[in-house]
Order: sequence, then C-alpha cells, then structure tokens
Amino acid sequence: MSDGSLAPAEPIALPRRRFLRRSVWTQPLGLVGAGLLVVIVLLAVFAPWLTAHGPVDMVAKRFMAPSAEHWFGTDQLGRDVFARVIYGARVSLPYALQLVVMAAVIGTLLGAIAGYFGGWIDGVIMRAADLVMAFPDIILAMAVVAALGPGLFNAVLAVVVVSWPIYARVVRSMLLTIRDEPYVQSSRLLGVSAMRALWVDVRPNVVGPLVVLAALEFGHAVLILAGLSFLGLGAQPPTPEWGQMVSDGSKYFDKWWLSVFPGLAILLVVLAANFLGDTLRDALDPRTAKAFR
Amino acid sequence: MIITRRMLGVLPIAMAAAVAGMVPAGAFAQDASTLVVDTAFQLKTADPAREFEPTANLVLHPVYETLITFKGSDLTTLVPSLASIPVVAPDAKTFTFTLNPAAKFSDGSPVTVDDVIFSFNRVKNVKGSPSFLLDGVTVAKGAKDGEIVLTTEQPDPGLPYKLANPAVGIVNSKLVKANQGSADEGADKTDRAEAFLASTSAGSGPYILDKFDMAAEVVLKRNDAYWGAKPAYDQIVVRNVDTSAQQMNVMRGDSQIALDLRPDQLDAIKDAAYTLSVPGADVVFMFTNANPEISATAANPDFQQAVRLAIDYDGILAIAGEGAARPGSIIPTMFAGALPTDQGPKRDVEAAKAALAKSGIKDPVIELTYVSDITKNGVSFADVAAKMQADLKEVGITAELKPSPVSTFLDDYRAGTLPMTIVWWGPDYPDPSDYLLFGPGEKVGLRAGWKAGSAPEVTEIAKKAAVEIDQAKRIELYDAWQKALNAQGPFTSLFQPAFSMASSKTLEPVEYNAMWTIDLTAIAPAKQ
Amino acid sequence: MSFLRSAWYALPNLVRFVIRRLFVGVLLCLGITLVSFALTQVVPGDPVSANLGDRAASDPEIVAAFRARYGLDKPVPQQYLLYLERLVHGDLGESQQTKRPVTTDLAQYLPATIELATAAMILALVLGISLGVVAAIGRDRWPDQVIRVISLAGVSIPTFWLALVTFYIFFFKLGIAPGVGRLNPGGKAPPSITNMFTIDALLSGQWTTLGIAASHLVLPATVLAIYTVGSITRFTRAAMLESLSQDYVRAARAKGLPERTVILRHALRPALAAIVTVAGMAFGRMLSGTVLVESVFSWPGIGQYAYKSALALDLRAIMGVSLVVAAIYILVNMAVDIIYALIDPRIRLG
Repeated sequence: MSDGSLAPAEPIALPRRRFLRRSVWTQPLGLVGAGLLVVIVLLAVFAPWLTAHGPVDMVAKRFMAPSAEHWFGTDQLGRDVFARVIYGARVSLPYALQLVVMAAVIGTLLGAIAGYFGGWIDGVIMRAADLVMAFPDIILAMAVVAALGPGLFNAVLAVVVVSWPIYARVVRSMLLTIRDEPYVQSSRLLGVSAMRALWVDVRPNVVGPLVVLAALEFGHAVLILAGLSFLGLGAQPPTPEWGQMVSDGSKYFDKWWLSVFPGLAILLVVLAANFLGDTLRDALDPRTAKAFR
Repeated sequence: MIITRRMLGVLPIAMAAAVAGMVPAGAFAQDASTLVVDTAFQLKTADPAREFEPTANLVLHPVYETLITFKGSDLTTLVPSLASIPVVAPDAKTFTFTLNPAAKFSDGSPVTVDDVIFSFNRVKNVKGSPSFLLDGVTVAKGAKDGEIVLTTEQPDPGLPYKLANPAVGIVNSKLVKANQGSADEGADKTDRAEAFLASTSAGSGPYILDKFDMAAEVVLKRNDAYWGAKPAYDQIVVRNVDTSAQQMNVMRGDSQIALDLRPDQLDAIKDAAYTLSVPGADVVFMFTNANPEISATAANPDFQQAVRLAIDYDGILAIAGEGAARPGSIIPTMFAGALPTDQGPKRDVEAAKAALAKSGIKDPVIELTYVSDITKNGVSFADVAAKMQADLKEVGITAELKPSPVSTFLDDYRAGTLPMTIVWWGPDYPDPSDYLLFGPGEKVGLRAGWKAGSAPEVTEIAKKAAVEIDQAKRIELYDAWQKALNAQGPFTSLFQPAFSMASSKTLEPVEYNAMWTIDLTAIAPAKQ
Repeated sequence: MSFLRSAWYALPNLVRFVIRRLFVGVLLCLGITLVSFALTQVVPGDPVSANLGDRAASDPEIVAAFRARYGLDKPVPQQYLLYLERLVHGDLGESQQTKRPVTTDLAQYLPATIELATAAMILALVLGISLGVVAAIGRDRWPDQVIRVISLAGVSIPTFWLALVTFYIFFFKLGIAPGVGRLNPGGKAPPSITNMFTIDALLSGQWTTLGIAASHLVLPATVLAIYTVGSITRFTRAAMLESLSQDYVRAARAKGLPERTVILRHALRPALAAIVTVAGMAFGRMLSGTVLVESVFSWPGIGQYAYKSALALDLRAIMGVSLVVAAIYILVNMAVDIIYALIDPRIRLG
C-alpha cells in the first residue's frame, strides 16, 4: 500500500489519554522483556564494576577458551571477551536509542505536519515517505555511509533516513481522525494557533502509541546497526561493538566464543525489546494497533 | 480459494526440495582432476591489457604466457618462457628477445613477433592500469626471424622484470583483432575486445579460460594444444569466497587451497593441511610530511628523527603476526637490492627524547591518519596506529588518530596533504627501480612533501642506480640509496604483512610468488 | 478535456488503477534516481582514486580518458540529464568496477538474489501462515504462547549471526549442507533462461543440476526466511482472529461445516488478502537484506554487488541497484494490491 490509495485511512476513535486496553504488568512476556532490559541497562551502567578488565585492554594470552578467569574467553588481541560484550551494551544501546529517538522525532513532526495541514503539504511529505520506503534500506544506508565515511553515528544517520516514514504514517493516520474531533475543532474555532493545537490537543493522544511503536522499532534498530557494523560500515575498531565482534570472530570460526557471545547479546537485547513491544502492542486499542505494520 | 489451494500445493514441493537438499556428507566431493582454490576476489577484468589486480594475475598467469617469467617464489632470476633471456645493450636502452619457435596459441597457430608487437602496443594504447609498464618503450621486429627489439627512451635495466607480469602477456593478435580488438593509437576508444576476452581466452598458456564470473568463480580448462609440459589438472576452479569460509572449506576438503587466511588462523588448521606464512611483497610504511606548509611540526628534521627513534618496530611486527617481516628500508625483502633488517632504524627512547628536545617543539601534537576500512593480509591499520600512538606518547609526542575510509584517504594521500600517515606500497614489478619513486621530487616522495632538490645526495645515487646494468653494482647502489633515504627522507618502513595460506595435504606443498600469489600451473597432487 | 475525462472514466476500474499506479511508480523511480544521483555527488572520495591503479591515477592522460569514458568531465546537471536520457533507452551506464554495462551486471547478479529471496519468501509464507493459523486457533492457550515466543525470536535473531552459526553447524560440523556458492565448484550452470538455476534446471530437465542448485539454496534461504516467518506469523494470527470473529464464519459453523473447512475456506481466505500485502512489503526488504546472507554464503547476488560498489564508489552501479530494487518493490506491491482486490471483494479499486 505504498501510495495509500487503496486502503482508506480507517477512522480511529481515540479515548483521550488511556491508550492501553489492559495492564502490561500482568503479562508474563512483557514482564520478562522489561526485566531483561532493566538487567541489561544495569549491566551497561555498572560495567566498570562488573568486569575485571577494560574492553580494549590486552590482558591475557590470545584465544583463551572460556574459563573461570575469563568467562567468555579472550580474543585475537588477548582482550577479555566478557568485558567487551558487557561494554558493548554501552555502545549498542545508546546508539540504537539515538536512532529511534531521531527517527521518531523527525517522523512525528513530518507526520503531524502532513496530517494537520493536509493538502499539498501532506502530498509532498507522504510521497517522500513512499520514496524512502521504496528505497532499498541497507543499500541506501551503504551509500550514505560511503558518502559520510564509516562510523556508528554516520550509520545511525543513514538508518534514520530510511526509518522515519513509519512514524510519520502512524502519526498522520491518527491525526486525520483527531483533527475532526469536536475538542480539536473547537480550539481551532477559538483561534488557537496550529502549533499550539498540535501540542495541546493532539500530543496526549499520540505519545502513548508512539512509545509502543518506538519499543517495537528499538529491536530493529539494534539489529540494523549491528548488521552495518558486521559489514564494516558501522563501528570501527577497537570499539567493542557486537556486530563487529561477530564479524571479527567469524574469521576464527574454531574459536566459537568470539562470535557466539556477542551474537547472543544482540539476540537477548532485541528479544527483550520485542517481548516488551509486542506486549504493549497487544494491550493497545486494537484499532490504533492497526496503524502499525 | 484458488490461492489457498495453490499455496497448500506448494508446500509439499518446498518440503521435498528442502529434504532433497540435505544429502549425506561426501555427496559433494568433486572429482580428483579438478583443483579448487578459494580467494576473496580482487578482480575487474579478464583482459590482460587492462588488468592490474592480484586475482587477475593469479588466474591469467596460467592463460597468458609472457616473454620471460619467474619460477617458484624467486623474483630475482629471470626464466625463459615464450622467449629467451634478453640480450641487453650496454646503454640499457635496447633489449633483444628471441621467440621460441615451438610456442603456439591454444588454437594451434604459432606465436609470432607480430603477436608480441600487437600485445605490447595494445597494453600501451588502451591506456589501462598496466599501461605504465611500457611507458616510453618501443617494440619492433629484430633483424633475424623471431627477434623482438624493445627500445626505451631512458636507460631501464629493470625492464625485463616488468615483462613477466601477466598484464603484458602475449595474446593471439588475429583472434583479438577479429573480435574488435585494436592496438593502434586511440585504442582506448576503439578497442572493444574486453568482453570477448572475458568469454574465452586468446593465450598460449597451459590453461584456457572456461568461465569468467567476477562475482562467483573463474574456471580454467586444460589447453590440450599446449606446447609445453602438460599440467596436472584438467580443470582449475578459483572461487570467490569470504575469508571466514575459506578455512572451513579447506578443512572439509571442499577446496584444496585457501589464499586469504590470517597468520593466527593457521594454528587451527596445521594438522589438517599444509600451512604457509611468509612476508608478502607489500610494504607498510609511515611518513612525517616534509612540507612545512602542511605541518611545521612534521617537517622539522629533528622531530622526524624523534618519531623514527620512538617507534617500537618489534612490537609492530608482533601485531602483524607470524610470517611478517621488516625490511631495512623501503624495498621488500624478496627483491634484489633489499636492505637487511638490522640496517633499518632502531628504537631508542632516550635518543628520541633528545631529538625532540633539539627540535625545540614543546609538547608536539600531530594528526596520524590511517585507512580504517581495509586490512592488509588481516592486519588492521587501526591496531598499528594505536600502537604507534602509545610509542610516541612515551617520548612526549601526542598523536591524534584520524581513521579515514580508503576512498577519501587515497585522495588526500595522493595530494600530499597528510601530516603523518601509515600507508602501504604494493610493487608494480619486482625490481628495485620501482622504489625510486620514493625519492625527493618523485611521485611518492611528493606525497610526503619531499620536494625535488631537498636531498641532492639521495637524488645523485638514484640517478646512478637507475642506469646501472651490472647486477652486483646495482645492488650496491640501491643499498647506498636506501641508507641515505633512511637517514634523510621522511619515510620509515614498518613491516611487510604476512601472506598466509593453507593447502590440502593431498597436494604437493605450494609456493608463494609475490607476482601471481601462487603458480596454478605448477600445483600437483601429492606423490603417493 | 471533457472527452479525455469521460474516456478515462469509461476505462474499467482495474485498468484505471493500474495506469495510475504505474504513473506514480514511474515518478517514484524518477525520485529514486534523483536521490541516488545526489547522494553519489556528495561522496567526498573521487572515483578516479578508487578505480585506477596507483600508477594509472597519476597519469593525467589516463585520468582524462577515465573521466571522459564515464562522463565525469561534464557539469553535474548535465551528467544527470545524460543519465536519464540513457535510462530511457534501457541503459544504466557502465560500472567502473566491472567495466561492463550495469544492466549486464544486474542481469547476472539479480536473478541469484531473486531466486534466493523468492525461495525464502515461499518458505516464510508456508511456515508463517501455518504457524499463524495454529496460533489463532489455539488462541491464548499454550500453542499460541509457544508460537508467539518462536515468532518473536525469529524477528530478534541477527541474520548475519544465524548465517554463520548454521553454516558452521550444518556444513562444517555435520557435513549435511553443501558448501558456499550456488553450485558445486566448477559446476556447469544450466542453460541460461532466467539465470535462476533451479528454474533453468527444471525447464531444461537437468535433474542433477536441479538437486545441486536446490541443495545450495536451502540453508541461505532458510536463514533469510527466519525474520519474515516471525512477522508473517504474527500478522496471520491477527488477521485470522479478526476473520474468525466475523458473522459469516459463525454462520458457516452454525451450518455444521467441518471445522477444517470453516478455517481454511471461510476464515483463512479473507485473512490471506491482508497477508499478501505484508508479504509484498517484506519481499522488498528481503531483496536488500540479502546482503548480510550473501556475504556469508558467498552468494553472487546484487547484495554483494551493491556492497562492493559502495566501497569502490562505483556510482552508476549503486544507482542501478537502487533503481532496480525500488522498481521491483513498487511492481510487487502493485501486483499485491491487485491480488488483494481480486481476493477480497470488499475492496474497490478507487
């Protein structure tokens, strides 16, 4: 449905403020996801106290198998893999968060503008969204990184370019319905400025679903950044980044611990985010949830 | 409804295909008359006149014979091939080759002087990457039958060594001409034989090109009409395989040779295969820019000396891994004229501090640029740069690391705007004369801001070395030149990354050759 | 004008829809060329350095010849117009890396990727729909919970890691999967018809080759499918739950039709319409996502081609890949919308 001409935006009646149908905290999957995320964040925050070594310190012999001393073994430069995996959370989480926040902010703004003003502005923004959606994402990211040079932040920028449209679409489709709600209409009649109307009347209804969407997208962000780093287009050595560690480790496949642990770390973080996001989505008003895809 | 049924109908087929895919082990072994070699392709064309990439040399060497060649790993001794060892005139400007009358192309036609003239002129006139090999060279018929005379504008005793490169391999001129090939002036626009040469081959070597797929594999088939000794294999498959899979393939017997391993991968594979880790021909070096307009700090001779004395050469060599070597200067160890390692600069922290004090620069800060997105035989420049940064810190120099992707790096490097960098030089041909480019005012010299006339002594020796044809005297001159370069130039060579490969024990051990990596025509099954 | 207008409305709905979508698609493709062209212009590196040898790059004559050959010596807007003009004639320019027309390269590499992505898509649809249906029937009971965790795991596994792990286990340890590439080393490709080896082998009746090509396809296609299995399962479940609650399903049940018939015929069919649209979008993602799988399995597809082109700043190749992948994405989604309309009578093509 790339140009939106087929499925007319379904009217979505939103109850103000209450956007979750039921409590997330009674859902085991959601609890597991949230719990895991909390643990991972704590690990990242307290990394220096949890590991005996720094992530780039060459502390031992190369290629030591996992042992009591080095839980995850050591790598090709004699660095402690456990330390690198734990510190890796300090790299992957903030960058993925940055990506999601930037994409959400840009997408929301554009979606809000498109939805609120309609007309040709809407047309231009949504066609741009279609354009980006049709663009092969990893290939665009590769081209952007080629243009800006490799590096995690450039990878983030590259992925932002391809990931804002989903937010724009959700926000726009919600706005289209809210725009005609009586309370929004009345503010308009009272001469409230467009910006203010968006902020006061629309924001509360949109923020909740957006958070859910962002939670769902967070896992994807971690994956795509790790993928770009795997290709050598993201994090640069000696940064302890999981995707890059997998790529480095794959060259020594008989030293399985080099790529298995960072890979599991990615899996765990993404899984936790998806458990939480999925539970949240389930708890959403089903008609709001439909706007997500 | 229709769709539902179709979808359900697809299911059993897909399942069947999936099951069919899981065939028991051993079903994939290929027959013994095929040799499989894995490498990560660096390949752009199958046209010898246009290629200058390692994989092209590897796969075209068995297809296109050259006038003279090398044997095994020795790049210092010329060996006859299509022609005899040339007679060099005393002025080193005229070289006379005599063709072997037995030589014939894969279609049975004899290799003639016209073919040689056509091939050389084509290399020059298509203006491709290897054209420089024949810059200023004129090729003509000799007085006798089968004689070819090359004349150069400047004395060039190194010329014969350039002629072993598969890029100047001899093509069947009739065949190439018939397929839109041209060797005339303006061939860069009129020659259209590249596509033809990717579909078949027009050489005289023991193999012919059977399939050329730049993404997947190159297949060579035995040339049944070969005029020399019959090679061991009916078919050679060179596959494009990611480095991580290469090791597994050799260990499983899926391929017989893996060419792009890292030195530290070899341990795991030692019992299962022959391993080889020897210095490659690339030299990784660093320079501090001698042009004060780029950086007054870097250009200060005392500062340059301090840097040279501060670097822990052994530590860097250890990062490069087993099999890596350190040349005494810029010429790699396997070439004639290489300087022994012990004559290179040595680390001396105190002397470095003294030199820094003498320079009068307080707490110098300098940018150290390196290529971030490629590695040389598994060695990452980031690791080397980090090590250098630590070494320099010890004597009080702060190096700010500046990673740069190779595409932008090359622009800056070639423009000579980098204050300090780690970079590499791969030989264009196996002769020390290739390295005269590092002199003041020469191409690479200028990249380091080393202007013409700034080191007359170095230039003087270089001039003599360039024209000397007596091999012993040549080597002496190159030794002297490199010592002067070490003392006065902005360059310091760091190491030659190791070339590491593994080959199956079902083969005779394989030798490394810096020109074509391995000689595919010389590989043979193990003797029982 | 009014004549044109009435002629337009005289056309069948479907035709009008297709024409409109095609028009929009062409505009989108034009946009893609503009964006990718602009992107290739801001690249700071010079393709000359990236593509010529060290010696050649310092020879002004060779550099000039190189620039002239690729039109790099002309002003930028003119370069773009020239590109468009050639595009109209089906010419995507010449790759600096392979020195062949980009169309030739794409003709070689694209089928490998389409073969891989299609196999993965079929696998994902079969598995995803089956799991989704089972989950919907067993809603909120243990099958649903288990399938939910499985499908979430599917969208959480890093593809490149899964590729490495499965290759290590099934090829190296167990030896039941064939090695890298599309065929055994030096294997003869079947006669070139579509360049998708399984299809070509099937069409020309080369059963051994078919077996080999299919066996090489299994592992990479499965790895590539895992992510999409997860999303299709989730989506099928939701769509099935919705249609199971519809009146006509209840009516069918009330009529005493067997449960199997009710589910497959009355509930799955409308759900399929929606699933097809998701699959269409997923297919586009798969095409570009193959790059991560292709590099591990040495699969010579456009993913690797694009990756190498990006590293070598091969501008025409990057533009060509972007354009073709986008065009496929647009066409597939258009086809999907048409199928959607044909399956689901409630939708009118507007």
